[in-house]
Amino acid sequence: MPSSPGNERPKPFVFAEYCKGCGRCVGACAKDCIHAGTEINALTGLVPIELHLDNCNGCGLCIAACPEPFGLQPAPGADFDLQDPEKMFGARPSTAQKPTDIPAVRVPLPPMEPLVVKGTYASALGALLAGCRHVYGYPITPSTEGAELMAKLLPKLDGVFLQAVSEVATVNIMYGASGAGVPCMTFTSSPGFSLMLEGVSYMIGAELPGVFVNIMRGGPGLGNIGPEQADVKLACRGLGHGNTHALVLCPATPQEMLDLTILAFELTFKYRNPVVLLGDGYLGQITGKVSLPDHMLQPGLPSWAVFGDAAHRGNVINSIVLGERDLEVHNEHLNAKYARMAAEEQRAALYECADADTLLIACNTPAQMAKGAVRALRHQGVKAGLFRPITLWPFPIDALKALLPQLKRIMVVEASPGQIEDELRLALSYADVATPKIEHIRHMGGVLPQTNEIVERVLAGRAQEAQR
Amino acid sequence: MSSATTFGSPTFYSRFERHAHGEGLKGHATHYCAGCGHGLAHKYLAEAIDELGIQDRTVAVSPVGCAVFMFYYLDVGNTQAAHGRAPAVAIGHKTANPDSIVISYQGDGDLASIGLAEIVSTAQLGIPISVIFVNNAIYGMTGGQLAPTTLMGQRSSTSPKGRTPMMGQPLKMAELIAQLDGPVYVERVALYDNKQRVKAKKAIKKALECQVKGTGFSFVEVLAECPTHLGMEPEQAEKWVQESMVPVFPLGVKKDVTAEGPNFPTIPRPAFDAGHLLEVIDASPDAPPRFATAFPTHLDPTDVSLKLAGAGGDGAQTIALFLTRSAIAEGFDSTYIPSYGPESRGGTSYADVHVASEEVLSPASPDPHVLVAFNAPSLSKFGPQVRAGGTVIYDSTVVHEVPPLAPGVRVLAVPFTAIARDLGKVMVKNVVALGALQAATNLFPAETLLNTLRTALKDKAALIPLNEKAFAWGAQAVTDAR
Ligand code: SF4
Ligand code: SF4
Ligand code: SF4
Repeated sequence: MPSSPGNERPKPFVFAEYCKGCGRCVGACAKDCIHAGTEINALTGLVPIELHLDNCNGCGLCIAACPEPFGLQPAPGADFDLQDPEKMFGARPSTAQKPTDIPAVRVPLPPMEPLVVKGTYASALGALLAGCRHVYGYPITPSTEGAELMAKLLPKLDGVFLQAVSEVATVNIMYGASGAGVPCMTFTSSPGFSLMLEGVSYMIGAELPGVFVNIMRGGPGLGNIGPEQADVKLACRGLGHGNTHALVLCPATPQEMLDLTILAFELTFKYRNPVVLLGDGYLGQITGKVSLPDHMLQPGLPSWAVFGDAAHRGNVINSIVLGERDLEVHNEHLNAKYARMAAEEQRAALYECADADTLLIACNTPAQMAKGAVRALRHQGVKAGLFRPITLWPFPIDALKALLPQLKRIMVVEASPGQIEDELRLALSYADVATPKIEHIRHMGGVLPQTNEIVERVLAGRAQEAQR
Repeated sequence: MSSATTFGSPTFYSRFERHAHGEGLKGHATHYCAGCGHGLAHKYLAEAIDELGIQDRTVAVSPVGCAVFMFYYLDVGNTQAAHGRAPAVAIGHKTANPDSIVISYQGDGDLASIGLAEIVSTAQLGIPISVIFVNNAIYGMTGGQLAPTTLMGQRSSTSPKGRTPMMGQPLKMAELIAQLDGPVYVERVALYDNKQRVKAKKAIKKALECQVKGTGFSFVEVLAECPTHLGMEPEQAEKWVQESMVPVFPLGVKKDVTAEGPNFPTIPRPAFDAGHLLEVIDASPDAPPRFATAFPTHLDPTDVSLKLAGAGGDGAQTIALFLTRSAIAEGFDSTYIPSYGPESRGGTSYADVHVASEEVLSPASPDPHVLVAFNAPSLSKFGPQVRAGGTVIYDSTVVHEVPPLAPGVRVLAVPFTAIARDLGKVMVKNVVALGALQAATNLFPAETLLNTLRTALKDKAALIPLNEKAFAWGAQAVTDAR
């Protein structure tokens, strides 16, 4: 509390325009010094109190009763210039340094033998290598092993694994940790991801990084724990309410579970936007060979973080923007960011595409089945190729566009009722290009398309065409 | 710190730039209605932060509700949370930076309705954060609806004739939180007169001290006035809180174990040492020895598919993993995928393994080259799927009948269990099976598998001789059967 010169305790003082006339100070004064006002203040339209301080003993109780930060105050000393607003309300001197971006440091790693680990583990190791030491989650099959490994390893690395009360709490803990500027992640599976989406929308609105590894299982509802790809719609088109997008990465092997998790951390900080890594149940559970990268990351600290120190005190993390035009501007800013992601982050893996006239399109484990089918078809003289989107949002349309003129048919192979095909068709439609016939093999419920099935369908389609 | 020539606590911004861009009156006046209790709670918070000298370290998490804009006012690190989730957000901040002083500021709808799971679990966790719970018995921001703390008979826009038991009873959060093990300090205070205000300020300061000293989770419930939705003058509202609310929500300290010292472990701070990380994730620079001279093309030119099936506990998963490790040690590609989830609890537990010269494409084994069956259901389910010319090895101790199989499938009856029993440990029957598999298929040299086995047992070296014996006896059984 400000002190006043001399021994006397300061009496109260108020600017009429900062008094709301609530009267709480009136009852607080035992000396009857404060009276309800009678005149409306022209500026506020409210009726400020009136002070009659003859009996005032400077007890300060009235000041403690005033809810307004700039309402009743101890009267300033005589030398104080009441007319100088800069002096009264000017910025308080701060010794804090301006926050600067502290970039992540690449720490080289010696060459190591490949590990033999399951997909969820590979993703967890990727996160550790990317500098993530804050993992929050709620158990759900078939993603839980990722969390279990983190629960085992993080204490050894002085990191934090915390099992939250729910997926809702999980995403909001991430909102806090990410707001503080640290890399954080969760492992979840379809129903859990649904629950997180409100929080994901908040994170996007507040421009917070965070990595969501969603090992998709069969739906809708409780469904089953078999491998599916039916959260593509959620990840690409339905990240909670409002104008939201996030980069969606689709690994196909345990190796990519590691590589793309590391990439996810780089991208999530680059764009200050969550990144979703979609795997299928198989990919989560499959054990395979995983090579380690030649470096790990030691995270920095972004300038925008609310870390809880002097440098970052002036920051705020929030997604509320009250003014309509202000919120429109914020959305325009987000749109520009989405456009940048769409232009710069398209990724696809092309297998035997150079001369292909039959193009299989698939992601995750089904892409491995499709790759097998391409080999088998090539053996039979069919010019088949595999186009594997590694980013589903943005759909890698530029790479696909280049192939379109040579294609006779596209076959979308997926473990969903057509959600990947929807992304493809939407991208083609925006690209405004002539497209060949699009066929598909779709499975649901935990059934994966099999290599033989793909081969047979492609051959049958060609036979039909030849008859025509 | 404070200076005689500026107004307000230094923990308030000198101008509320975030309040309508700080223009006009809004630069120095809150958005709260006249006489609202929130203003007082903010003020005591600001003064406590100031007095404790923690302004730079403080992170204030604001809720959804009338206090959503707390970040307009408090000159500290600010985060605005989703409805009800402020304690979760606070956990995030505190675990990210254990030095930060984290305040979760919430209203009654936020904390006691939509956010119940978060507040109860965070309180029980006991992580050192400070919760300021402003209870004014009504929803303010959305316009005067029934709150979980609305009094019986109290009117609101969703209890137009007053709260009835059909709407449940008012929730006493301070008492509820106080009976948990996690919190160190829980108090309920009020703002309706000078005496209560002094206590309120003291309680808020004490709650923050719990963090400064690292003792633990603190919770202060503030009975506050919402004159607007009570339809009262602020003075009447003060009286209403005193006369109507206090009997239902008694004031006072509900729990205080702060004298007992810290109730929560030190939150770790990560270090980033490459060598340590590689050690923790079990990475090694040493290439495992190789024994195979070529891919087992006698089984398949490029991709050998196996299935190992039994009941949970038979050890099928373990040897599947050994096979994949062995293959990768030999420089091949390999995958192993278990049956997982509810299926894997009891009943059949099976694992699909592929060993490929270049790359495993399809990880499932719907028509394996090799099946190892530990029991009759596994053999009858998967036996017929084994492809023509393949191999079936089964535990003849427990399986007595072989179903019809594809043409040319070689069948080997090996008493896994009986052999393991002879060795004195039934548990090693899977290693017996592994030995049998090696002898029957020559997928890899025996030494490859034995090396994987020894590596896996490196921390239980005493078990190695037994396992080696099990492997050898399994292999011998196949040779004898020939
Ligand atoms: S300082 Fe004390 S005596 Fe003076 S006006 Fe305020 S309450 Fe009354
Ligand atoms: S308590 Fe403050 S705002 Fe209310 S009437 Fe008194 S001076 Fe004005
Ligand atoms: S509605 Fe009630 S709680 Fe909200 S600002 Fe107004 S008085 Fe305060």
